Amino acid sequence: MRSSTLQTLGLGSVFEIFQNGKLPVTADELVDQIFGKDGNRGALVITGANGIVGAGKTMQLGSRLEPFGVPIVALDFPGIPDGLAKQYSGLVRAFGKGNANKVMGNIIKYYYDGKNLPKGLAAHNPKFLLEAIPEILEIKKEHYKTFRDNFPDIDIWSVTSGFPGSQLGVGIAHPAFPHEVNKIWEIVEPTPSASSKLLWALGLIPMQVGDNWAFVLDVFFCGLTGAGARFNEATNMPYWKVDKYIRKYLGPNPFRAHDAIGAKGANFLTWSCLHHLSKHYGDLFAPSENLTEKKDSGSNWYPLDHFRPMVDWSLNEEEMAEFNAWILGPLFQMTSLMIHENRSHLSQMNLIGELCAQFTKGVLAVVRNMGADEVRKIVADYHKLQPKAAKQAWYPEVFDKINSPEWQQLYVNAEHNGKVGVISINRESYNHDVNDELNRAIDWLKSSKIENVIITGDFHISTQMVGADTTDFFPAIENATKGIELSKEWSATARRLNSDFKTSVGFINGKRCLGGFLELMVHCHYLVAEENANLGMPEVTLPVIPGMEGCHWPLRKLKADNYKNFLKFILSGKSVKAKDSVGWLADYAGSMENSIKMAWKLASGGDHGLKKREVNENSITDIPDEITGLENTDDAGLTEARKAILDCIMNSCKATLAEAISVQAKFSGDFMTTKLCKKGVVGNAYNKTWQV
Amino acid sequence: MKVVESMFPNARIPYGTWGSSYFPAWQASALAEVNIAQFAGEAMANILGKRKVSRKELDYLVVGSTIPWHWKFWNGPVVASCMGQRIPGFQMEQACATGLSAVIVAGSEVNSKSYDVAGVLTFDRTSDSPVGVFPERRAYRRTEVISDVWDNFGFDPSTGSAMLETAGKTARKYKIDRAEVDELTALRYKQYFDAKKAGFQDKYLFSFDILNTQGRLLGKISEDVGVREISLKTLKEQRELDSCITSGTQTHAADGMATLLVASVEKAKEISLKPEINIEFISKVDIRTGPGLMPEAPGLAVQKLLDRTGLTMNDMKVVKNHNPFAVNDAIFGKTMNYDWAKMNNTGCSLVWGHPQAPTLTRTIIEALEEAVDLGGGYVLVFGCAAGDVGTAGIFRVS
Repeated sequence: MRSSTLQTLGLGSVFEIFQNGKLPVTADELVDQIFGKDGNRGALVITGANGIVGAGKTMQLGSRLEPFGVPIVALDFPGIPDGLAKQYSGLVRAFGKGNANKVMGNIIKYYYDGKNLPKGLAAHNPKFLLEAIPEILEIKKEHYKTFRDNFPDIDIWSVTSGFPGSQLGVGIAHPAFPHEVNKIWEIVEPTPSASSKLLWALGLIPMQVGDNWAFVLDVFFCGLTGAGARFNEATNMPYWKVDKYIRKYLGPNPFRAHDAIGAKGANFLTWSCLHHLSKHYGDLFAPSENLTEKKDSGSNWYPLDHFRPMVDWSLNEEEMAEFNAWILGPLFQMTSLMIHENRSHLSQMNLIGELCAQFTKGVLAVVRNMGADEVRKIVADYHKLQPKAAKQAWYPEVFDKINSPEWQQLYVNAEHNGKVGVISINRESYNHDVNDELNRAIDWLKSSKIENVIITGDFHISTQMVGADTTDFFPAIENATKGIELSKEWSATARRLNSDFKTSVGFINGKRCLGGFLELMVHCHYLVAEENANLGMPEVTLPVIPGMEGCHWPLRKLKADNYKNFLKFILSGKSVKAKDSVGWLADYAGSMENSIKMAWKLASGGDHGLKKREVNENSITDIPDEITGLENTDDAGLTEARKAILDCIMNSCKATLAEAISVQAKFSGDFMTTKLCKKGVVGNAYNKTWQV
Repeated sequence: MKVVESMFPNARIPYGTWGSSYFPAWQASALAEVNIAQFAGEAMANILGKRKVSRKELDYLVVGSTIPWHWKFWNGPVVASCMGQRIPGFQMEQACATGLSAVIVAGSEVNSKSYDVAGVLTFDRTSDSPVGVFPERRAYRRTEVISDVWDNFGFDPSTGSAMLETAGKTARKYKIDRAEVDELTALRYKQYFDAKKAGFQDKYLFSFDILNTQGRLLGKISEDVGVREISLKTLKEQRELDSCITSGTQTHAADGMATLLVASVEKAKEISLKPEINIEFISKVDIRTGPGLMPEAPGLAVQKLLDRTGLTMNDMKVVKNHNPFAVNDAIFGKTMNYDWAKMNNTGCSLVWGHPQAPTLTRTIIEALEEAVDLGGGYVLVFGCAAGDVGTAGIFRVS
């Protein structure tokens, strides 16, 4: 339908992974290529290693490169507070004490005066420099010169959030906050390098972006902050309340984020980003007076504790239109600029906002759903409020292509070779957009007479499948009909994987597949998973009742003696390893390579040796209502949720397959309006974000 | 319209850049539980936002409040911070004269071209009055404890009398008849409720949702809580506390805020909701009358004001009085030979309450709105204040 984002890294398409029966590259070969062969590994040097970015990346890369024996040299000025030690507790939480100690034991700390490199550094054979020093162009350039003078062959990347590579003279690898865990890196380089491929092979998410000021992420995030600041200036609405509205309608709370990151540094970076952008693109980005004041003072955006907000604010219809103009207007205009400059693959551009800046939906998805005309109208309304912004950086014509596959398939792609299709999903949680795009992908494959399909994560942006996007449940919290509709609609899509293809294979390539995504995948004729992938249905812990037929579809594929395994699984909410679920949930679990090969065999008609488990279309009446092996709980809420799910299981299994979709949907939709659900995770999130 | 010279030719009150909270009776609303200065600052930002005026327009803030609040030491600047704008400010107070004087000070600052836009923000919380502990070597107890609101109402240290006694004493001096006061009071309530039903108050009163420290709703301030319609019969039946004074013919303590802007001529046109309306400062005086005769002070102040400007009561399109006691209006009518039925047409503090500093600010706003409705003219605003003070000011709406 469109190009795979994996192709932007020079790693081929998702389809080719299955066709070739293996991943395109391995970390071993890339480590050898970049750092030298085992026994003679050179070092990764990180400068500014005690800063927020430097320390985070020392941990992230250190933990991934330690098993390969790549030493990490952490370099900083003397007297800088130790940022690395602060990371230790997180490292222990993530990897356990033993592994954390190994990671820390592989870090070599040096201090230097900014001009003369430590004498001992050469002994570590530096091969790669990741620079994370302050955002001052001349200092950065001098820094690179020092390294190149001493180590002429060293590769250099800067983590700069703004300067283009053309100004710095080095590659860019701009990471996203929080740096120790966020896997996204915006990469600027002429062609995909071994280093970017290595990030991918290490399980990180490099995304190629254009060599333009502030790339993509900071245009969205700083741009949104700037828009919020202007809205405050125009309306006096306090920042905390602007945040609440932005959070409700878009997802991020930019002002809280600045305070959480550290207002002094974050305010400067946002101001600096917008200031530099405004030099190139005009008033669309010009920092407002209040942002400049916050940059100068370094003060928080939210009031001090003793002045916690007292007067609430609300927006009437007219004011809401003004909010849209002030907030969405500039955001849409910035999007037009980035598309015009071809800053990134549209799917990546869309998902950078979601994965790095808390957007509930990517800005491109918002644009698409709104439609080009409405988007242009909102930008026009914004230009009435800030006429100078209209003079530059506005490319309304980019929205003419909104019906192209690049726009329509932001989250779901499909490829085929005339016989086998591969549907790849790059969003970690299932929402209405994914549902719509999945239907379009299925339609496209069917129109191409494809009868066999593999559905999978995209091996790039989505490293896991965490289930339904519960923000899409919010309308159902006060209206059961909305929940019932959602459940029926998503279930109908899932059923197409069973009914529209001769063979369908659900392939789980990531760390986990949970909830709604697992419900989707089990509708495939075969479920194949990497053996250590975690499979789970945590709905009971939220609590919600599974809405995509998880309460009866898997049971219809089981013999009676396996019911208890699944019932324990769904009622406990605990995950299992894929390899422990073979026979009652997964059909096959093996190494990544073997799983890829198995999926291909199943889809292409190869000799796979697996027996297809048929779906029982009749009423099932022998589901046990006493579940053995389920841990008792004192938690009344959990007990009640288990009972509700069990009721749904009994009733939806008792129905025929044709009837069950409605039965399950009714249980699921009705439950979302209950007090129990409202008190739970979904209800709390609804109250926090939607009750503005 | 007779034309007289403006006291501040370079200053204007931009139409509509004003607003007030409702004035809930004391102890009767969420305002009894908050730092009123923070509320006032946040509420002013909200009001200006609804009026499409950015807080950025303000250069200076004149703050008026008469009852101590937490962190009062910081006064104007901290209240401005609560509004979201780091500007300088100045605190001023003289009991119920505060509102008018604050507006005049802002006018003076703008007229002298110190600032383009000066905000006036007046507020008070009479509920749960703070208590001050004062070393007092001349008192037999050596240390005096004063509940700021209640104890001061009950004792004027200059005369040794209570506020209420001044009303009775002045009523006797002018031989005011109780029946007249009851009738006057009944009219005042009718005026208030007629204006309310006509939607007049919607032009300048704003509702506020008050949050607790967890960010949840503490209460809504969406009416003058405690104000109920009252009949002449009920008023007549009430027990007299002093000559002509009953609980029905005096005001009640309340909490609230009121704000307006003063701007240069050019800026006023820019930020006004109706730039074609011109609101000018004409003149203002304060006087102090004899001991314990506070209710006669407003009339004396108005007479002095008219003498100085050459205007007469016939020149006034709108006449509006801060009248904590209904006898104030009766005395004013008698001393100025003016029909009290022609004044306070849209409500007055006798009815909607008495939070001190913002009282005259709300009175001014109401008077200006009424004048605009009537097509312009001179607006006379006056009232009494603790210490037997009378204050009066004239504005011109054209």
